[in-house]
Amino acid sequence: MSQPFLQMRNIRKRFGAVEALKGVTLEAHAGEALALIGANGAGKSTLMNVLGGVYAPDEGDILLGGQTARLHSPLEAERSGIAFVHQEMAMLPTMSVADNLFISHFPTQMGRIKRTEVLDACRAALQRLGCTFDPRVRVGDLSPGDQQMVEIARAIMTDPKIIIFDEPTSSLTSREKQRLFDVIGALKRAGTVIIYISHFLDEAFALCERAVVLRNGETVGGGMMGDLTYARVVELMIGAQNASADREQQTRQPGAVALQVEGLRREGVLRDLRFSLHKGEVVGLWGLLGSGRSELLRSLVGLDPIDGGMLRIAVNGELRALPPGEARRWMGIVTENRRDDGLLLPMPVKTNMSIANLPELIGRIYPFVDGRREASVSQTYVERLKIKIADLRQPVRTLSGGNQQKVIVGRWLQKAPLVYLMDEPTRGLDVGAKAEIRAIISELAEAGAALLVVSSDIDEIMSISDRYLVLNRGRLVAEFPRGASKNELMAAAAGVGT
Amino acid sequence: MNSPQSSSSSASNPLANVLSRESLFRLLPLVIVLIAALAVGSRSENFLTQQNMINVLLQSASLALMAMGMTVVLITGGIDLSIPSLMAFSGILGAMVLRDGGDPLVAGLVMLATGAAVGFINGFAVAYLRMIPFVVTLSMLAILSGAAVSVTNARSIGLEPGSPFISGVSAPVLGIPLPILIMFAVMLVLEVLLRSSLFGRWLFAVGTNLRAALVAGVPSRRVIALAYVASGLLAGAAAVVTTALQGAAGPTFGREGVVLDVVSSAVLGGVSIYGGVGGAINAVVGAILITLITNSMNLLNVSYFLTLVIKGIVIIAVVALTTQRKG
Ligand SMILES: Nc1ncnc2c1ncn2[C@@H]1O[C@H](COP(=O)(O)OP(=O)(O)OP(=O)(O)O)[C@@H](O)[C@H]1O
Ligand SMILES: [Mg+2]
Repeated sequence: MSQPFLQMRNIRKRFGAVEALKGVTLEAHAGEALALIGANGAGKSTLMNVLGGVYAPDEGDILLGGQTARLHSPLEAERSGIAFVHQEMAMLPTMSVADNLFISHFPTQMGRIKRTEVLDACRAALQRLGCTFDPRVRVGDLSPGDQQMVEIARAIMTDPKIIIFDEPTSSLTSREKQRLFDVIGALKRAGTVIIYISHFLDEAFALCERAVVLRNGETVGGGMMGDLTYARVVELMIGAQNASADREQQTRQPGAVALQVEGLRREGVLRDLRFSLHKGEVVGLWGLLGSGRSELLRSLVGLDPIDGGMLRIAVNGELRALPPGEARRWMGIVTENRRDDGLLLPMPVKTNMSIANLPELIGRIYPFVDGRREASVSQTYVERLKIKIADLRQPVRTLSGGNQQKVIVGRWLQKAPLVYLMDEPTRGLDVGAKAEIRAIISELAEAGAALLVVSSDIDEIMSISDRYLVLNRGRLVAEFPRGASKNELMAAAAGVGT
Repeated sequence: MNSPQSSSSSASNPLANVLSRESLFRLLPLVIVLIAALAVGSRSENFLTQQNMINVLLQSASLALMAMGMTVVLITGGIDLSIPSLMAFSGILGAMVLRDGGDPLVAGLVMLATGAAVGFINGFAVAYLRMIPFVVTLSMLAILSGAAVSVTNARSIGLEPGSPFISGVSAPVLGIPLPILIMFAVMLVLEVLLRSSLFGRWLFAVGTNLRAALVAGVPSRRVIALAYVASGLLAGAAAVVTTALQGAAGPTFGREGVVLDVVSSAVLGGVSIYGGVGGAINAVVGAILITLITNSMNLLNVSYFLTLVIKGIVIIAVVALTTQRKG
């Protein structure tokens, strides 16, 4: 086989006491896609940040085409032909798509930006990804999926020799995913090196030629995709431990009404929604991206404005009518985007986990929080969710993506509200952690909570739900019991037969 | 002992090191200014005397109280420009009570209540009417400055020498003038409130990421409104101290230089103007430093206006330093 284009040798990186990378070696050939696989906190993003010039390694060399590369900043990495689609989107939401695509290299003529040239180049790049929106719109006004496509467009526009995708599909619709995969195929044929990180192993098997598996900052295995099996990869990822299989779903008896929604509406988004959630049941909210499922969850807690409608929530066994802003006290919400409206990024893990529950953590003197109890309660949930941290006081910003997601889930477990609203609760989690969250969702229902869960993964929704509500363009178009088939759900969401 | 499990206990030390290195960095501008102030000041004979030190603390008291109020608001990510004019206005109302033969205690309460009431208006406008803090408090500054001039006909109101208000507020306790003790007492209480009370925790959450705080169920509006009430109340407390120490109250007490001093105290002490970072101790340390600068300028006979120029430059320098660190 030819000489690998990219060689990373014995890379080490330490953050304080945490050794995130303990001598990782990785090679990739031109024209091939390499799957970088590992559990949450294994070091995948850190390794790619080293390659992308974001972090300087403590030790180790990087060779590009056999030559030692100097990658001391993201700009240097870009100049060396390395493009990076980050796990956490890093864009300027108030600026246009064109500004975002060209921010680091506007073509200018005597200091003036060549406007038409920029717009044409943007349209061409977006077209390669099959996007149809205008490059002059503000990035913040696009759907998360489109925003992700802009980020991908920015990466491919520079015609790089290596493209790193760090979980690119977690906010894409299946159609967008397919377009991305087509583009990756074309890039491979053009001789680009693709490094592909994903917790969806089926994507890795479909797209990649080879895999490298990391565990706790070390390379533990890999090889040609054809020689690997799904089970073998999972075993490498999480060690010899049993990959906890989804446990047998018990049929639950739903209890009294916990939340009743009457005539909830918002111009152009939600149309006269009526439904109720019962204690002890998991309701799967199914619909295509843009059907209003996230908007519904957000308006239930007053995060998005509504034009009308009412909530009744069971307070001490009695249904009480409340506006969403107040009903929030009995509800916990895992939002779609943990960085925008989930985490307090610079603050400690402990604070992020206790923030919703502080009134319950008051010590003997009234307005003062009992710091010791706060720490011990938070520690309990860190252990229960196996969140990988070095210290409870560590800023949550320094956790791996999947572990940040677990912190948000832990926050609501700690608060234990009556109603849980979860928008993509397993986003960014590894296979093991996904199964754990599904088990926790079942446990919560068995303990009497009402849960409304959104997921774009139909298998996931089907494995946890007792009942389904299907949304199509802001309207509730169908309701199915547990036994519904995948086809029924798909058809209803697409608006067939209604 | 290299298993991943054991690392959690040994991790605390290096992590603490990193943390303290960061906070050390935040103290850097402070240290530079202190050295500069001492270097300049020591050229004058009076600078390092004990009396001058007591004087510096005494002069800092009012500024420190205002800077602590500003800090509470800055933590939410807002700003309260009305503080100095509110201090002047509250002082005037209290002095009018005294002039009309009112009880000193009532006069003090009038000042505090005026501060809290105006703070509530600011807070209501920002939190519930969702107006921009800068605009609300700048307008309030204009209103209060105008009102102060018109109720006093642009003259200051002097208290009678030997007024019980003066002796009551500025009397030494255990040899230390009361305003200094008030300053440190408020600092301790506020610091503890900020670090470990429900309100304090919520305040930092709101200032770090308002939307995330809302999602987590923090009663953000109430918290923001309360921050401005606290800031107003502290402006009222500053009015009590200033009126007693000056033996007078007047519209010029809140002039433009003071707002600069209040903001620079907070910023110099390490409070972030971006929200989410700061504390009462930062504000007091910053206020003492600003007073030291003013004091050394006075001793060197630098004009008031040149002093403004120098202070402005110091603020820009400090903000530049800390912003670079952020990016
Ligand atoms: N800036 C930092 N400071 C301290 N620790 C860090 C920092 N960045 C990463 N880490 C730690 O390094 C380890 C590896 O993190 P990394 O983000 O590379 O994981 P990952 O494999 O990308 O996981 P995920 O699948 O959850 O995204 C984690 O334990 C994380 O807490
Ligand atoms: Mg990652």
